[in-house]
Amino acid sequence: MNSNYYLRYERDERVKYVSHLDFVRVFGRAIRRAHIPVAYSEGFNPHPLLGFALPLSVGYTSECEIIEIALSEEIAPDELQERLNAVLPDGIKILSAHEGKSNMKKLDIAVYNVFPEKTPSGIAAFLSMKEILIDKKTKSGIKECDIRPDIKDIKVTLGKIEMTLSAGSRNNLKPEVVIAAMNKYMDGYESGECSYHRKQIYDIDMNVI
Amino acid sequence: MSTIKNPDALFRKVQKATHYCGGELNSVIKNPDEVQIRYAFAFPDTYEVGMSHLGMKILYHVLNQREDTYCERVFAPWLDMEEEMKKQDVPLFTNETLTPVKEFDFLGITLQYEMCYSNILNMLSLAKIPLLAKDRTEDDPFVNGGGPCAYNPEPLADFFDFFTMGEGEEVIGELMDAFKEWKKEGGTREDYLRKIARIEGIYVPSLYDVEYNEDGTIKSMTPNCPEAPKKVRKRIISDLDAVSYPDKFIVPFSDIVHDRSNIEVFRGCIRGCRFCQAGMIYRPVREKSADTLLKDACSLIESTGYEEMGLSSLSTSDYTQLEALTDKLLEVTEKEKVSLSLPSLRVDNFSLDLMERVQKVRKSGLTFAPEAGSQRMRDVINKNVSEEDLIKSATLAFEGGWNGVKLYFMIGLPYEECSDIAGIADLAHKVVDCFYESEKTNKRRGVNVTLSVASFVPKPHTPFQWARQDSMDELYEKQLFLKNEIRSRKVKYNYHQNDISVLEGVFARGDRKLSAVLLRAHELGCKLDGWNECFDLEKWKKAFSDCGIDMAFYTRERDYDEVLPWDFVDIGVSRDFMKNENEKAKQAATTPNCREKCSGCGAASLCKTKKGCVCFEQ
Repeated sequence: MNSNYYLRYERDERVKYVSHLDFVRVFGRAIRRAHIPVAYSEGFNPHPLLGFALPLSVGYTSECEIIEIALSEEIAPDELQERLNAVLPDGIKILSAHEGKSNMKKLDIAVYNVFPEKTPSGIAAFLSMKEILIDKKTKSGIKECDIRPDIKDIKVTLGKIEMTLSAGSRNNLKPEVVIAAMNKYMDGYESGECSYHRKQIYDIDMNVI
Repeated sequence: MSTIKNPDALFRKVQKATHYCGGELNSVIKNPDEVQIRYAFAFPDTYEVGMSHLGMKILYHVLNQREDTYCERVFAPWLDMEEEMKKQDVPLFTNETLTPVKEFDFLGITLQYEMCYSNILNMLSLAKIPLLAKDRTEDDPFVNGGGPCAYNPEPLADFFDFFTMGEGEEVIGELMDAFKEWKKEGGTREDYLRKIARIEGIYVPSLYDVEYNEDGTIKSMTPNCPEAPKKVRKRIISDLDAVSYPDKFIVPFSDIVHDRSNIEVFRGCIRGCRFCQAGMIYRPVREKSADTLLKDACSLIESTGYEEMGLSSLSTSDYTQLEALTDKLLEVTEKEKVSLSLPSLRVDNFSLDLMERVQKVRKSGLTFAPEAGSQRMRDVINKNVSEEDLIKSATLAFEGGWNGVKLYFMIGLPYEECSDIAGIADLAHKVVDCFYESEKTNKRRGVNVTLSVASFVPKPHTPFQWARQDSMDELYEKQLFLKNEIRSRKVKYNYHQNDISVLEGVFARGDRKLSAVLLRAHELGCKLDGWNECFDLEKWKKAFSDCGIDMAFYTRERDYDEVLPWDFVDIGVSRDFMKNENEKAKQAATTPNCREKCSGCGAASLCKTKKGCVCFEQ
């Protein structure tokens, strides 16, 4: 029988350009270096049994990432955390380790901190729009779609925009799309280059995942 | 020293930022203020190519072992990055600390193949370092070249301050020590260059004058100062067990060409194929002991977490302790779920048992390199494998469950006749037949034989260094001829672009006059020539014609008494040996390998210790 664990981890500035796919490999190799008895899939090309919550976009940092991992032997969560932190590249750090499965399947909402070059004013007017239409690239071409329902909240403080957005497999809205919409619809607003940081992920009732 | 401003503005704009931003596992972090020497090690091609190269890992490790030195990496930027760097006016910078290359003490450039020469000029220009060595000042790094192409450095002579001939582990330390002394003495750039010209293996092009005959051939090449030796002798590491090998490899975030750890089994090759430059310049064969290799392998598995380990050498199945090594290695790799990869198998000592143990699960392709189609031609090039060997090995592999093989060949070899080329197709057909004739093969899946046919390029320091190289038209005709000879649909035929082969041949055997062509090609925008989407033959042709230089001058046959541009480089193998080998090629006479019988090439004299060296085996 395999034992299930999940880990919370952060990815800082130093690894923000690592794509999700590359990150999966980085993690797999860290597990090997730490000699963690990870369980492997069956088949011709066995791969370690890992599960990631919500892929992080290239260029983003985060303090709320979750990975699920199945081990063939039991290990104390603290030890798992310690052993992985000793071998992970700088910029990736396990914040806590837990036994069992996470609630990542219920993920519905994510909060992002966006740091623009210019702080916007008049966000209330933006949020009062009934529809916020943006062009979305799909396989069959460009489609216009309304992102307003997926914006739960936006708070602006000096130098920072905090966005609460739909996340997960059903509806997933990226903060850079919201920034594009703000540039489009807010009169005279130009955000400039922004940095993006994922702050927290929640289920539909705003319980932290 | 300062790092580049606002790197994010660049990284956000490019597709593969992790190729430039550093921070990979096992990359070396030092405080630049606490070292005396900063060394930028450049691979003049893209990150995924350069990061796969073993030599760079070795020298990065050796330099960074010194407390007084910080070695960082730099690669040729891809098109999107170059465009952004120009737009934002950011000079070429290193991956570790994002420091402009111009601010370093040294810029070491590894020279792995001729078609990267345009990248070197492009990188110097992006670094804002004067292209010509004579224009550099105290504000510029010393630009140093090494690697296989340094054995004929003359086409690059104008762009480099100095070159290092041979294996670098020891000489690079001597260069660093000399740098510290020179700094203390407070001399000029030229003082440093004169000082290191005395170190064995160092060639400073500006300290030599070249005179030409009326026909454009070299009349003489003479040192113009007392420090410069008439001949520059290559350096080797005599005892590979005693030299430090990386216990860690940098593990890139993104996928690269060879994404695995590697242990270096031996240097050199006993075989003496007459076309092969590596087989000559890395002489004599020196092996590492199985114990050292096992230790190297364990450290790398532990420090990288890589899923795959390669055994690297020019011909791994010639390793004398191969069985002992693989026995011990497999014990470790099976436990750690690491797969072994064995490149460079020979057809005459192919061991199915070994292959099966190594590739337990997947039976992917097998590659053999008969190199030539007819026995006569294989004798000309001294390949010393027979048709029987190949058919035996292929049958073994097919009966062992493989159903595809790849065969490497060359066309355009010296003394080649039509029947030799037709022999390539014949041999491929015989391999197909042996699959169907055997009762033990799996016929349901059918068989695939892939022919990979390259165009021969005569290289310096080989018995064929005097040979004429076929023109693009001749090579094209031969490729077509071969294509028409292939009658089986089980045979797939891949061939190499012959325009690149000719250009490669021109620079391989070029002289100093080609520096002007490289400069012109750079002005015309030539770069990343190893990449199909970038290579532009028309630009190269224009560069040659603008400089009034005829490519055919460099592809012609040379006389034994002509002064060759690389004659001043002493690789330890005598000119008489080369000449004799070329004469034997004309008679299709073979030479035994180093282990069967010493042919007295002269390389034995390079070794300071007898341990592990083929020249002193009983």
